[in-house]
Amino acid sequence: MLSWSSNELGTPADIAVIASGDGDAGLPHGADLVAFAEAIARFDEEALARARAQLVAVAGEDFMIDAAAVAANFEMMTRVADGTGARHAPATADQRNAIGHRLGIAGFTSAH
Amino acid sequence: MPHVRADLRDAHAASLRHVASPGARLDAARRVQIAEVAIAAYLDPEPAPPWVRPYGDLALDVAHRLARHAGTITLEWYEQVITEGLHPLEWVEVVGVVVAAVPPVAFARAIGVPVPGLPAPVPGPPTGHEAAELAPATLNWVPVAAPADQTASVVQALSSLPDENANLWRLAAAQYMANEQMGDPRWTRGLLSRPQMELVAGRLSLIRECFF
Repeated sequence: MLSWSSNELGTPADIAVIASGDGDAGLPHGADLVAFAEAIARFDEEALARARAQLVAVAGEDFMIDAAAVAANFEMMTRVADGTGARHAPATADQRNAIGHRLGIAGFTSAH
Repeated sequence: MPHVRADLRDAHAASLRHVASPGARLDAARRVQIAEVAIAAYLDPEPAPPWVRPYGDLALDVAHRLARHAGTITLEWYEQVITEGLHPLEWVEVVGVVVAAVPPVAFARAIGVPVPGLPAPVPGPPTGHEAAELAPATLNWVPVAAPADQTASVVQALSSLPDENANLWRLAAAQYMANEQMGDPRWTRGLLSRPQMELVAGRLSLIRECFF
């Protein structure tokens, strides 16, 4: 979805950042968003406090809250997918496999 | 205290009320028990590893693993738990409860405020409210509302239990976007552009080892 949405807007993002966690993907506040998402996912409370403060400092509190809401949504959707054995339709397999190999996530349980 | 927009605050409060209300197959007290396990697992600084069943109770052990080790759940484990006695629709209801309880907690933790408590369970028997017709799916392990596989797997995932499904998409609309907005790359969530939203979604999902 990052690749699609950024291409549609004419400013292709570097999706490799999703896997590496390093860089801004070519997006405003991208590095701070990655750090915030990562701190939420890693259960590191000190890192989360730092990442939250940094995001508020550069983009404001409302921006941080909207980013937190998106993160909460994917704490939900990942569990829906993993908890119900959700799989992609066969018609999209080639595209998904290509992205999976590029990001090094083809071995995830939900990729099969 | 950060100011949280009203639609998001209301969606999270409604989701926790939903947890504490009778479900299709489980009464509210059992649902609250499942949610408490899920929240504890989500916040635990040193959780039990995925292969441990800390509770010796099928529904609670599914809630624990889903809340903290979702990426490790396999078809084989699903089938094992069903064989041991958890009905497939009870599994779906456990998933519905976990994904109703975790987002308000995850959001509160993310923005640095105390995590919300669960309401008291609403008395009464399970509602029996299930899809009129179920069908096996090829895009999900769990049964879904018939006809199966006419929509994306995550869209039909909880369709066997309409109340769980409705709560899921109410939350998604407030936290992320409604399904009808998915095809619009220019749609924004407040101050976040769509690519910025997808960057957060992608990084978190990858760390959770979820291909979606």
